[in-house]
Amino acid sequence: MENPSLLPLLDARMPLTEEKVAEAARLAGVPLAQAWGVVRYYPRYRGLPQGRLLVDDPVARSRGFARLREAADGTYPPLGLEAFSPIHVRFTPEGRFVEWAGGLVPFRDFRLPFAIGHGSRLIPPEPILSLAQYRALGGLKALSALRQGQGSPDGVIRAVEEAGLLGRGGAAFPAHVKMRAVAKGASPKYLVVNADESEPGNFKDRFLLEHHPFLVLEGALLAALAVGAQKVYLYVREEFEAAQTGLLSATRELEEAGLLPVPTEVFRSGGLYICGEETALLESMEGKRAEPRLKPPFPVEQGLWGRPTLVQNVETLANLPLLLQEGPGAWRAREPKLFSISGDVARPGLYELPLGTPLGEALRRAGGEPEELQAVLLGGAAGVFTRDFAFPLRFKERLPLGAGALVAFGGGVDLWEVLLGLVHFLKEESCGKCFPCPLGTAVQVELVKRRERNRALVRDLAETLRGSLCGLGQSAYWAYQSLLEVEGAA
Amino acid sequence: MRLRVDGKDVEVQEGTLLLQVARVPTLCHHPHTETRGLCRICLVEVNGRLQPACATLAQEGMEVKTETEALRRLRKTLLEWLALTTDLSQAPELLALLERYGAEPARWPEVEGRKEREAVEDNPFFLRDYAKCVNCRRCVDACGDGVMGVYALTLEGRGLLAHPTTPLGRPLPETPCVFCGNCVQVCPTGALRPLALEVA
Repeated sequence: MENPSLLPLLDARMPLTEEKVAEAARLAGVPLAQAWGVVRYYPRYRGLPQGRLLVDDPVARSRGFARLREAADGTYPPLGLEAFSPIHVRFTPEGRFVEWAGGLVPFRDFRLPFAIGHGSRLIPPEPILSLAQYRALGGLKALSALRQGQGSPDGVIRAVEEAGLLGRGGAAFPAHVKMRAVAKGASPKYLVVNADESEPGNFKDRFLLEHHPFLVLEGALLAALAVGAQKVYLYVREEFEAAQTGLLSATRELEEAGLLPVPTEVFRSGGLYICGEETALLESMEGKRAEPRLKPPFPVEQGLWGRPTLVQNVETLANLPLLLQEGPGAWRAREPKLFSISGDVARPGLYELPLGTPLGEALRRAGGEPEELQAVLLGGAAGVFTRDFAFPLRFKERLPLGAGALVAFGGGVDLWEVLLGLVHFLKEESCGKCFPCPLGTAVQVELVKRRERNRALVRDLAETLRGSLCGLGQSAYWAYQSLLEVEGAA
Repeated sequence: MRLRVDGKDVEVQEGTLLLQVARVPTLCHHPHTETRGLCRICLVEVNGRLQPACATLAQEGMEVKTETEALRRLRKTLLEWLALTTDLSQAPELLALLERYGAEPARWPEVEGRKEREAVEDNPFFLRDYAKCVNCRRCVDACGDGVMGVYALTLEGRGLLAHPTTPLGRPLPETPCVFCGNCVQVCPTGALRPLALEVA
């Protein structure tokens, strides 16, 4: 059953010494070997880079990356700051900061500027950081109704099914299928909110967590009641410090108001892209190296600590209050989706658009001129380059939507440099558990460096990566293959 | 239950692994350890999807293909990448597979791999020569959950350069190791090998 998790025990003992690692292992009830494997896995225990770090995202790669890189002490993986890229962070013994408007803002105080959000249903008219504000906005109605016996747990799942809500984390899996499976499972069971947004180009979850925490919490609590979960864990990307404190205080406010029907805890993520893969996420919560599990069994059967667990993305859950209040039919008629739009557009930001909006129209909303663009990266590192501006931004279409990132690249951009950034990221983030992924992503970097266009090599690379254990490796060649297609079509 | 393997009907008992009915190469799988589904060399096509034969139970009506053109290319490529990055000189079974699949590692660019690692000689019994390690984890599992339960081995790092190590990175005699030799027994590539076999 549930032991104290190793990661928070280690976090409480920073800076680590051998004695402190051994102590954390003892308290967690795990062998020292396991604790050492963990310490030698996660960046914050191994030691983070220091100095002035360029955030190495697809936008930075398109804006004279070599020169930017030279002027910095190192790089850091994408942080959801693409709308302001190129941007730097500063890591010093005193803490971690974002370079912002000529000054330094500590991570704990840094939120995405609210003004980059455009929308009316998932995006509020102003940051909603107190319960009173959330209530004034009409919040908590769905949760109160359910708690007062209007509707039933199964009714929530039926509404989700009727609405056809697909997971917003990138895999687009039907939400009700997972919910129903967990609802049928035996207690104890858990809900884990996957708030580990790390896909390059995406900042939708970050924005919701930082500016609309009560909406996320209401959605999570609705799902928890629907499936009968005993506990809610918010697994939040470790760098999103302001989001973590915001969620903590929102949770506390709900609890004090007697409005927290399920105990809710914030868990600081392992700080790696792979932690967003749902089974790797669960491994890290259990105090292990965040390495994906073989499936089956699926998390809905054997998830956290071997118990039935519902893992859902932030945006997926944020839709629940809306979906229940509007009714599944009305919700579906103009299904909202958040798109993180960055790169060569006049107004990069977060746009709530009806699912099915053509790519070109989405770009125009952000002040982009599709005719002047060379290509758009759709999805992220696990994404594709495209020039199909008529493409309807919808799930299960010809191109993968991913979590909804659109990065636009104008005429002068060297797309191979952007691709190199993506494949470098995937190589760095490969956990190394299965064979095709760490080998293939390392080989891929070298192929992209020499701008290899040999069809047989790229085909064999793709077919082999496709055999990887999890989605990271399985999709690692998409961007490469798609760039060759875009080139061929140009 | 009945299933079809490469077009032939096969009758098996419930609980049978596809590995028992599919003649495919393996690497990370070992009857005495729990490592499975890692190397992906035993992948087969099950109703059109790739599944590791070592970790997939046979089911009624399954349509299994064990050696399609795509699977041959996958195995060939994977073996090439292993040869590209790792010293396979003491892994005769892998060398035979490279031959069988017509592997040509030189068609790929050089990558920073494992071959430059220096062997660790920290005990009187066996060498830890991680230039030859493919990171199949059989040793780690044999030492821990799978066989011995002493937990003298774990993993260092991530990605291609991840490899087995000891707790706190100490020499083996300073760990819970009891020198049972199980890790050496299960190593498929000669990365762990008895010093008694080293000819001076």
